[in-house]
Amino acid sequence: MVLEKIRYFIRRAVRNMRQWPFLCTAAILTMAVALATVATFFLVVVNVEQLASNWTREIQVVAYLEKAPTQRELPALVKKLKTFPEVDAVSYVSPAAALARFKSRLADDASLLEGVDRDLLPASFELVLKPEFRNQEGIDKVIERLDNTLVVEDLRYGQKWLERFNSFVDMLRFVSLVLGGFLLFAALFIVSNTIKLTLYARRDELEIMALVGATMRFIKIPFLLEGALQGLLGGIVSLGFLAISFQFVIKRSLTSFWLTPTDFDLLFLTPGQQLILVIAGVMLGLLGSLTSLRRFVRV
Amino acid sequence: MIQLFNVTKSYGGEIPAVKDLSLQIPKGDFVYVTGASGAGKTTFLRMLYAAERPSRGQILINRQNVTRIRAPQIPYLRRKIGVVFQDFKLLQSRTVYENVAFALEAQGKKRYEVSKKVYQALKEVGLEHRLQRKPLELSGGEQQRIAIARALVVDPLILLADEPSGNLDQAVTLEIMELFKKANARGTTVLLATHDHSLNQQFPRRVITLDKGRLVADQQPHQG
Repeated sequence: MVLEKIRYFIRRAVRNMRQWPFLCTAAILTMAVALATVATFFLVVVNVEQLASNWTREIQVVAYLEKAPTQRELPALVKKLKTFPEVDAVSYVSPAAALARFKSRLADDASLLEGVDRDLLPASFELVLKPEFRNQEGIDKVIERLDNTLVVEDLRYGQKWLERFNSFVDMLRFVSLVLGGFLLFAALFIVSNTIKLTLYARRDELEIMALVGATMRFIKIPFLLEGALQGLLGGIVSLGFLAISFQFVIKRSLTSFWLTPTDFDLLFLTPGQQLILVIAGVMLGLLGSLTSLRRFVRV
Repeated sequence: MIQLFNVTKSYGGEIPAVKDLSLQIPKGDFVYVTGASGAGKTTFLRMLYAAERPSRGQILINRQNVTRIRAPQIPYLRRKIGVVFQDFKLLQSRTVYENVAFALEAQGKKRYEVSKKVYQALKEVGLEHRLQRKPLELSGGEQQRIAIARALVVDPLILLADEPSGNLDQAVTLEIMELFKKANARGTTVLLATHDHSLNQQFPRRVITLDKGRLVADQQPHQG
């Protein structure tokens, strides 16, 4: 009995959709576009965050020394620095090594450095931090320890840059959240109105149903099912849209934005996230038809 | 079966659509509701199947107070009442069979039960050979017969007809009237709103006359 009812409701929902193919397609596409747009924002945020974590891997603190340590002092110093809990690796750059590095950077203009004193550049320690300390706090702690250990002439670290980048990611996340929220709301509104149109086109049917003694539940369930089905299709179509926008918009713009070819694969939605997107479509369709039905169906 | 006590329905205008209407219609009666356009015939019928609520007064149908009925109960009231309209109110996109079956499906009847009853009801109105046609392919008289089949397929206690022959010619009207009489003979209470007085001359029955929402005459057949 229950099974037969469910079959009957599904039959009616499918028949309704086939009866108004244009409205049905409009509702599905609207939901697909809205969901794909929101998911695109999500992907941009996820990938920029991934990029950020990649970059922080390169964060290091460079301590320029007032006086280069002697060969005898050096091992003890390195050993001491390595005991810092935040520090992953320590490397010493002697003035000569620094000069060599500078020369290789200048490349064709290396001749400028001819005749320059070998001790022109200061010696330095380059400290690579452990991943969990690659943030402002970690850097501050290391600097404090350094000040207590060495006579440091100058300190370099990606502080300002890191702060700016982090606030950029924060803003991106916020903007995506707000825009995504607006978009979903707009989608809900449009879906609800599209479904209202299909209800308006079928007002005779609704009237006759009420007249022959159909309960509200009996009248509404096929429409709710229809909304859910459209949402399901919309969610699946949105995955297709998203794949296209990922390939042609996200990949290209992110790659060209960072100027360098990224040395990691851009992330797409995981299967779980894809499922969530489709479920979101179903909920959107269901909610859309629910809100329009409430205003439309009266006894 | 149907009892009205001082029923008034006002839509906010100066003159109410129905004013202070009191009457009793026993089970199995056949009643014409007559009066000029705007006399309140339609409002009267609409209040019976709870499409309108009276502004004042009480309506009892089968001892159930329709005035106080709660919205979720309305469908169950309507399952006891068949309604036929001047404009048929058929679904043009559905077949004859589907149109009649609709009334049973809405009540959650089983599929085999539906097909059996639909066939019987269509046979009753002489349209069992038109099952798979669409309403627009049929004549007005045939469409009204489908509507009557839809109203009767659920075995209603009461059949309400609002100007059922308004769009039909004389010969077809007689056919339709035969169907109402047949339903009435099986025990269904019939209320037929019409301004066609010739019907009463051919099929004399009790006549209720409304004017500006008031009951102005209630004649039994032997009087008229």
